[in-house]
Amino acid sequence: MTCKKRYILLFALPALILYSVFVIYPFIYSFSLSFYSWAGAGEREFVGFKNFQMIMSGPFAEEFRNALSHNILFFIVNAIFELGIAFLIAVVLTTKIWGKRFFQTIVYLPNVISMVLVGFIWSMLLNPQWGLINHLLKSMGLNDLAKPWLGLEETALGTVILVNVWRNIGFYVLVFLASILGISKDLFDAAYIDGASTWRVIRKIIFPLTVPTFQTLGILLFIGSFNIFDVVFALEGVQAGPYRSTDVLGTFFYRTAFGGMGSSEQDYGLGAAVVVIIFLLVLPLSMFYSYLIDKKSRVR
Amino acid sequence: MFKRSIMFAVILLVISILTFASTTVELWSWRTQDAEVWEKVEKRLKEEGKDIEIDFRAFMPTEYDAKVQLALQGGKGPDLMYTRRLPSSSVEGMINAELLKSLNGLVDFKDFNDSILKSVTYEGKKYGVPFAVQVVGIFYNEEIFNSLGIKEPKTWDELLQISEKIKSSGIDPFFVPGKEAWALTMQHAMCGVSVLGPDFIKALENGETDFLDPKWVDLNTRLLELKKYYQNGFVGNDTNDMNAAFAFGQAAMTFYGIWGVQMWRELNPDLKVGYFMVPPLTASEESYSYVYMDGAIGLTSNADQRDAAIEVLKFAATPEFGSIFSGVTLNIPAVSNAVMPDDPILNEANEAAGHASPYIYWVGSVFTTGSPSLYGDVLSPGMQELNAEKITPLEFAQKAQNALSQWFVPLRKRLGLE
Repeated sequence: MTCKKRYILLFALPALILYSVFVIYPFIYSFSLSFYSWAGAGEREFVGFKNFQMIMSGPFAEEFRNALSHNILFFIVNAIFELGIAFLIAVVLTTKIWGKRFFQTIVYLPNVISMVLVGFIWSMLLNPQWGLINHLLKSMGLNDLAKPWLGLEETALGTVILVNVWRNIGFYVLVFLASILGISKDLFDAAYIDGASTWRVIRKIIFPLTVPTFQTLGILLFIGSFNIFDVVFALEGVQAGPYRSTDVLGTFFYRTAFGGMGSSEQDYGLGAAVVVIIFLLVLPLSMFYSYLIDKKSRVR
Repeated sequence: MFKRSIMFAVILLVISILTFASTTVELWSWRTQDAEVWEKVEKRLKEEGKDIEIDFRAFMPTEYDAKVQLALQGGKGPDLMYTRRLPSSSVEGMINAELLKSLNGLVDFKDFNDSILKSVTYEGKKYGVPFAVQVVGIFYNEEIFNSLGIKEPKTWDELLQISEKIKSSGIDPFFVPGKEAWALTMQHAMCGVSVLGPDFIKALENGETDFLDPKWVDLNTRLLELKKYYQNGFVGNDTNDMNAAFAFGQAAMTFYGIWGVQMWRELNPDLKVGYFMVPPLTASEESYSYVYMDGAIGLTSNADQRDAAIEVLKFAATPEFGSIFSGVTLNIPAVSNAVMPDDPILNEANEAAGHASPYIYWVGSVFTTGSPSLYGDVLSPGMQELNAEKITPLEFAQKAQNALSQWFVPLRKRLGLE
């Protein structure tokens, strides 16, 4: 080993140790736990693939498919709103719009609020009887739209997703803003001198040059959408009501691993099996997505 | 220099005396409302000359079990902990892993009755000092009842009649926290003990009947019919909303537990609350209350201050503790002979506890000891689906049948699956 390689290894060692202790070891542990039935204490019982069978085709299959479909929906809607709208907001904020500094701060503000507080704020706003949202709707004569937003199957998941978008969009705006501001000003000047419209500048200059940012954020969003938990937990609890209509793999995992209110059964092995399945879903898809992006970049 | 050294030594001595004189016992719980109880217990122990400090910490109920188990397995965690009732796979697991210690020979259980001690006994040994008995049922605003000239209903039909009368007066008859599935399940269970009756639930336990029995389906139908008496948008309300609405008279009744009284009184000290058990179908049948032992205080494997912790447990097993506990929380203490505050609602609930259904199917029942559980996996989502009219009462019953037939042996035998 050359001296340089030794130094590289030496400097990488602390990070490697931390990564091994906090990422690799827990994953291997979870993987092994997924073959056992264990209530959290006491003897573990080896059950082979029974936990996986219970989730994929047994008593929890319906709940699993339901939760997985919601994660996919989370990803699709988040991709449209968080990436699409964040990009447009970022474009607007790069113009000479009045009060842009103020809007830059405001748009990021929800991102610094803890999710527990976000849950509390939105639960109050959406309260069916005294919530501000329904009051506003009623005052505008839209009585039919004043609903128990978090309590109806038709509206609960959409509401949870939109709250999540509200909370996170600031981060995406910030990243797009940095990306757009990194584009050489000369390109814009040249385009405008040649008579290009703003829409054409967005389409032909800004968008193509921010595609790598879209790709990076897309992967983050994909991984984030399959690991979503906190927003559902804060607004609907681990039961992910009404009747699992906001259930995601994260809340499904929580219920199977830790039980409900202390009265339901808990099985860490079953929970670990859910985690392994999430991992097996997210990893290959993320790798495939990265491969596609990498391939496109090389072609370009 | 010498004087300074002496002074320094004296200061050090004072600090160490102040720091180490009393013994601190760490106690973990899921009940935030009990903090004042333990402050009073600490004071009482000090009066007895036992210099014990109690460091009480409460965690979110949904996170508590995992938190305490992980801490104890890591060699950390409290000296004492609130434990769930037995039978419970997680508590049994903790006992088998020796994370929870037996209290046989350490604590005198003479002031507890046998049925309560069953909830803390595993393989003949006791693993906790029970602290509360919970009674659930229908709580009502006495002022609203009096102003409308309404009396506590004796039959299910009377319950519908008074609901109709309250509704026509412009007040919501019931405030139901429909967003919280557990509360709806509790409602099903408290109605079940009176409408189905203990004999039916016993037959369900023994596999002599099943969830497709017309009586079970009929109960589902009746629960669905009650919906018109709930507040508008009830599916979006949680228990915080219910507490505020009920405390301030926006609704006349609520399906809840005795533990709610403390909160309602905090919000509105003038509130006059009454209680009645869910009425049966006919006047010739009896009403039953749904009663369960809430939990117990156990000694952990991590008890650094074992002797002091045992002293705390010994006190928790006395009627005096029960009096303190009841005085603060307005819950019924698990220990007998405690002096409860002379509060009409507490007296009523205590009386109702004496008429508890011997057979139940929610908290503390055999139907929640396997997966899928009747509580968490069937009734919780099912009640919300039923209220949303996504499933019929019969389909709801079929869900229970399908889920329980996967593991509940008496039902499996009845259906010829074993």
